Amino acid sequence: MRTRGGVLLANLLTGLALGFTVTSIGFGDYAELNRMFTFQDLRMFLSFFGAVVIIASVFALLRVRRGTGRLHAGVVPGAVLFGIGWAISGGCPAIPIIQVASGYLPAVVTIAGIVVGVRLCRWANGRHFFRIDRGSCEG
Amino acid sequence: MTAYWPWWAGAVGLAVLTIGYTLATDRSFGVSGAWERVLHWRREAELERREAEFTDERTLVAALGVATAEHFGTVPAVPVPPGPAAVPATDGRRSGAHPRPAPLVTQAVLLVSIFVGGLIAAVTSGRFHIRFDMGAGYRHLVTGNPVAMVALLFAGGVLVGFGTRLAGGCSSGHGLNGCGRLSPVSLVATATFFGTAVAVSFLLWKVI
Repeated sequence: MRTRGGVLLANLLTGLALGFTVTSIGFGDYAELNRMFTFQDLRMFLSFFGAVVIIASVFALLRVRRGTGRLHAGVVPGAVLFGIGWAISGGCPAIPIIQVASGYLPAVVTIAGIVVGVRLCRWANGRHFFRIDRGSCEG
Repeated sequence: MTAYWPWWAGAVGLAVLTIGYTLATDRSFGVSGAWERVLHWRREAELERREAEFTDERTLVAALGVATAEHFGTVPAVPVPPGPAAVPATDGRRSGAHPRPAPLVTQAVLLVSIFVGGLIAAVTSGRFHIRFDMGAGYRHLVTGNPVAMVALLFAGGVLVGFGTRLAGGCSSGHGLNGCGRLSPVSLVATATFFGTAVAVSFLLWKVI
């Protein structure tokens, strides 16, 4: 599966599974999302963090290497901006895609915003408007 | 219309796809990283082409070194730089952190297939319905004004796009993959974006 074709197939299947799963959990439903973030309903919260616990356990069992990313200056400010954006638009980078797929047409505007935001970050970083080390605005 | 999945089914689903991708490709997937590369397609394609040329050159140097050693019965005079496939697994662990991201076209496929997967789920659950709003929840909690809705969705999208790239990942890259690997930077990022979203959501629910 490490060949180009294998990686292509893995991305295809993962994308299908991710779209199907997050839609079936209800991440595209703004009311459900707000109920998760305000702890009125822990179902989606437990789905996410339950998944993290399973992944961490399996990775430890299979001895998958731990993450070594460095805590650079962009992490906390970037995560704060992302948290605000997620709460007011209901979208993390995958969610507006499945919202449109569920028929929520205004989510196209959220996607347009993400396109502008992603390009703006790379442009600003390239112009050195802020001094963020390697790790920000990079894949 | 069928009910949303129970929490355990969602947890198993998200875990299986994350673990499956990691084991199959020896990489981590991240949706914001895929957006980043696809939106800078031209530049990223150029980088991929240069990388391929560089790999070819390294392979050529390695092959010449081995041929020279065989001909003269000596060890290669020039140290052979290892190619990506020749890097030994030093401690028996899966690396899982590939130095190069997945090929550009595969990341475009990831974004398109998320749409298809979401469409299949919405149609089969009876939840697909063309709407020109974001649902009753958004109307009650955020705004019922269509102009304000468009402005907030766009502003929110810009914050999501800018913020995830500044932080180096999103709920899939940092949240599922990074936290699953117990990466300190991902744990900090996930706690921060979840904490911020909780605070803003409480404001929307209780105050605004």
